[in-house]
Amino acid sequence: MNATTPSIQPGSLPGSQRSLFTLAAVLAAVGVAAFVTGLLGPQPQRAWQAFFINFLLWSAIAQGAVLFAALTHTVKARWAGPLSGLSQAFAGFFPLSLICFLALLIGRDHLFPWLHEDLHGKEIWLNLPFLFSRDGIGFLALYGFGWAFLSQDLKLRIKTTAPAGGLRRWMAGRLPQTEAEIERVRRRKTLWGGLYCFAFALVLSLIGFDLVMSMDPHWISTLFGAYHFVKAFYVGLGALIILAAIVHLHQNRRTAIADAHFHDIGKLFFAFCLLWADFFYVQLTVIWYGNIPEETSYVILRTVTPPWSTLAWIVFIVCFIIPFIVLINRRVKTMPGAMIALCSMVILGIWLEHLLLLGPALNHAAAELPLGVTDGLVFIGFMGLMVLALAYTFKTFPELLPPGSEAAR
Amino acid sequence: MTNLTFAQIDQTVLNTLERPRPRYWLFVALMLCGVLLGAAAWTYQIFTGIGVGGQNIPVAWGTYLINFVFWVGIAHSGTLISAILHLFRAGWRNPIARAAETMTVFAVCCAGLFPFIHLGRVWQVYYMLPIPTQRLLWPNFLSPLMFDVVAISTYLTVSSLFWYTGLVPDLAVVRDRSTGLRYKIFRVLSLGWTGTHHQWLNYSRGYLFFAALATPLVISVHSVVSWDFALALVPGWHTTIFAPYFVAGAIHSGLAMVLTLMIPLRRIFRYEAIITLNVLENVAKTMVLTGLIVGLAYGTEYFIAWYSHNAVEWESFRWRALGEYAYGLYFMIICNVLLPSLFLFKKVRRSIPWLFALSLVVNFGMWWERFVIIVGGVAHDFAPHAWGFYAPRLVEYCVMVGSFSLFFFLFLLFCKHLPSVSMTEMKETAHHAG
Amino acid sequence: MPGDACIMGLFKDEAKAARVIPELAAAGFSFRRAHSPIPSHRILEALKLKKGRVGWFTLAGGIVGFFLGFALAIFTAVQWNLIVSGKPIVSLIPFFIVGFEFTILFSVFGNVIGLLVCSRLPDYRGLESYDPRCSGEHFGVLASCEAGREGELMDFFQKKGAEVKVFA
Repeated sequence: MNATTPSIQPGSLPGSQRSLFTLAAVLAAVGVAAFVTGLLGPQPQRAWQAFFINFLLWSAIAQGAVLFAALTHTVKARWAGPLSGLSQAFAGFFPLSLICFLALLIGRDHLFPWLHEDLHGKEIWLNLPFLFSRDGIGFLALYGFGWAFLSQDLKLRIKTTAPAGGLRRWMAGRLPQTEAEIERVRRRKTLWGGLYCFAFALVLSLIGFDLVMSMDPHWISTLFGAYHFVKAFYVGLGALIILAAIVHLHQNRRTAIADAHFHDIGKLFFAFCLLWADFFYVQLTVIWYGNIPEETSYVILRTVTPPWSTLAWIVFIVCFIIPFIVLINRRVKTMPGAMIALCSMVILGIWLEHLLLLGPALNHAAAELPLGVTDGLVFIGFMGLMVLALAYTFKTFPELLPPGSEAAR
Repeated sequence: MTNLTFAQIDQTVLNTLERPRPRYWLFVALMLCGVLLGAAAWTYQIFTGIGVGGQNIPVAWGTYLINFVFWVGIAHSGTLISAILHLFRAGWRNPIARAAETMTVFAVCCAGLFPFIHLGRVWQVYYMLPIPTQRLLWPNFLSPLMFDVVAISTYLTVSSLFWYTGLVPDLAVVRDRSTGLRYKIFRVLSLGWTGTHHQWLNYSRGYLFFAALATPLVISVHSVVSWDFALALVPGWHTTIFAPYFVAGAIHSGLAMVLTLMIPLRRIFRYEAIITLNVLENVAKTMVLTGLIVGLAYGTEYFIAWYSHNAVEWESFRWRALGEYAYGLYFMIICNVLLPSLFLFKKVRRSIPWLFALSLVVNFGMWWERFVIIVGGVAHDFAPHAWGFYAPRLVEYCVMVGSFSLFFFLFLLFCKHLPSVSMTEMKETAHHAG
Repeated sequence: MPGDACIMGLFKDEAKAARVIPELAAAGFSFRRAHSPIPSHRILEALKLKKGRVGWFTLAGGIVGFFLGFALAIFTAVQWNLIVSGKPIVSLIPFFIVGFEFTILFSVFGNVIGLLVCSRLPDYRGLESYDPRCSGEHFGVLASCEAGREGELMDFFQKKGAEVKVFA
């Protein structure tokens, strides 16, 4: 595939693109409607739970997907190729993620158990102003580094001088002209990429502790932060594979994404499937073996007590057993359709895993799983938001698409 | 590196197998003395009892465990370089893969001695083997120490087989350039390897599988070693982060040992064209990553110790920073996290004296990290009246000297009698670059 | 066939060696084997060989190891049927570690056995018709021809730019 500039003008809107935007908008609207209906219904807490879980999941997907580009650039891995543009496009979701994070403040009474409990001194850490400011600063830093990385990369990609739309015009005014400027852009890209990776580990660990582990304020696990960021990279890679496969299939397999790329990223996905399961197992073993009631109550509730035990088994089978068995086969990684199915299944599995971790804290003494139609519709709504973000990013910057693909889908 | 021809690669490496000068034998003899010193101390301990060491209540695990974890850690980055980087197709690993894998095998040997040494009555190891005793009593596989037995034996076996498999084509090269006794020995060792298409076809597959299997093994073995501590209830030990934290720390210390070994090696054997500064720089860059992971783990442990609001946990960490062994913590933080971050600067990364000095600093710091964790955990756990201290005694110092001497003794012997750089992999690199 | 001469053409260029292989058959000689100091994709492609079978041995070893590890841990625990530190006698969470390590160990054993069996190593008889330069910088192509055509075969190799070595 020779690298060609995209044959459509950025900013224009061919038919297939328009229908994608419409579809995404419809999905998002469905989600919003379901959320609002839930809020106005008898159990607003369930609506907020759905919102919270999906916020965490889809933010993690975006953060993890962008990490792929930043990481491969920092370690100078050359095999990423056309996948890095697709990976960076997920940064389009970052502003939406930030808005959703701030929206959590509205639902705070339904969401944060530590607002209403006696924390025996932990209030210094778990209080609304401090938590939201530090997590907000964390998100801003992470997303800032991500956007800076993306913008430096775009400066190296954008060749056409026909800007359309404010963002692209702003970009076009800053394109490097000389060899020295190009070199400076490359160095900045490496710097921002490295900072993104560093911030990813720190900020996602913080989010894991602050937003997920704190739901059970009296439980601790030192690995929980790292577990959160490994999970984020796992789902991020899954989403990247889905996007790459869809773009590739849409162009009748005539993009620059070769079998080797699918094979390599499939292997990386497999590796992170193993790593996720390893981090899950490590926590489980230490807590199980020590048998200290303060630690085991969390795990027993989620793995042995109905109704959560069924969910735990489903999560384990969907997120580990099935991907492990399927991905051992070499050929399946290069079958885009199969990978779309597998990665979608894993993303759904991690969605359920979020429910498994957060559900018991938000629904004490639940007799049955707090999983209903509303939760599914809110998931679809967030998926619509993600598709909107990606479509908008590709429309504004079609250079992110792999060469050989004709239109921004 | 990319300009080397096959003949140059062969010649450079085969030159290292020439008859060694007397100075070499002097070093070997010196190391052998160290080994004998350690052996003598161990023998004395076997006859007198484990009490000759400094470990006692409350600190029942001292330098024997510290050295055990230290050597297993060193072994891990050898497998990282030879197996994991092979899977990632990182070509810069080719010049150092052989020496790194050898380092692994010898480090696991040294590590494996320590459980025996620490037993005191060495013959009691019989009870850890999966053979029923006369009362039909089997070992209890619920015990982390039994996990260790299984994991370390597996690691030793797999590393040795991986090492030997990687050596076979190179042994054939040496055979084809030797005469007399050396020819006969290498003829047998190289298994009649002739490099036919059929042999290479299966060899490449087999080597790939080796690399793919060694990777989860690396992670699992040091996780198992970390569980010797994490599965206990001691504050400072019982924490879920130990498994990845130990694995990252192991790779950190192992990479430092790789630098410590490679820098003199490339100088003495004139490997500068093969083990280039780029290779060493890449090792240093990887150390930046592992150092940051280790730093994140230190920070997380402290944060969660505070967050838990558990009085015992917090006291353990408060004492770690302000108590009698606090200097260990500061060695640990400065040597493992702060100083290696100097590798962020290109000038430091590409300076041989800095690379060597920082590698020694990290080795020192990682030894102290194990001290802080192992001794610091049990010296100051639950009940204040049970708090105590620990100081190693002469026997332990001698055994430690013995283990370091054994490692370098074996490595020195390896360097002059077996090819310390993989000629086959270097040729592959040169071939693909050309 | 007895009486056939074996002649090896030694090339310094991998591409030339790979090109010779199909041309040998066309010229009526029979290709025996190719030697190389490094694994050569071009030669393997020229020979249209399928992937090796080592993987099956590895998989078999892994499966054996998985069950053996669990079997060992479960069997030994059941022999001494007492609860130890509050854990069930057969607890799969810690026994998984033993199972995992044994899976890796026996996969590696399978891998080694597979390597030896599929490559037919150790094989000291192959050294008889082997030139030591093949482990250095030369790619050797061994061919045989009917008795009387040795001159032709030697010419053939020399025209392709190879050095020639004759084996009885």
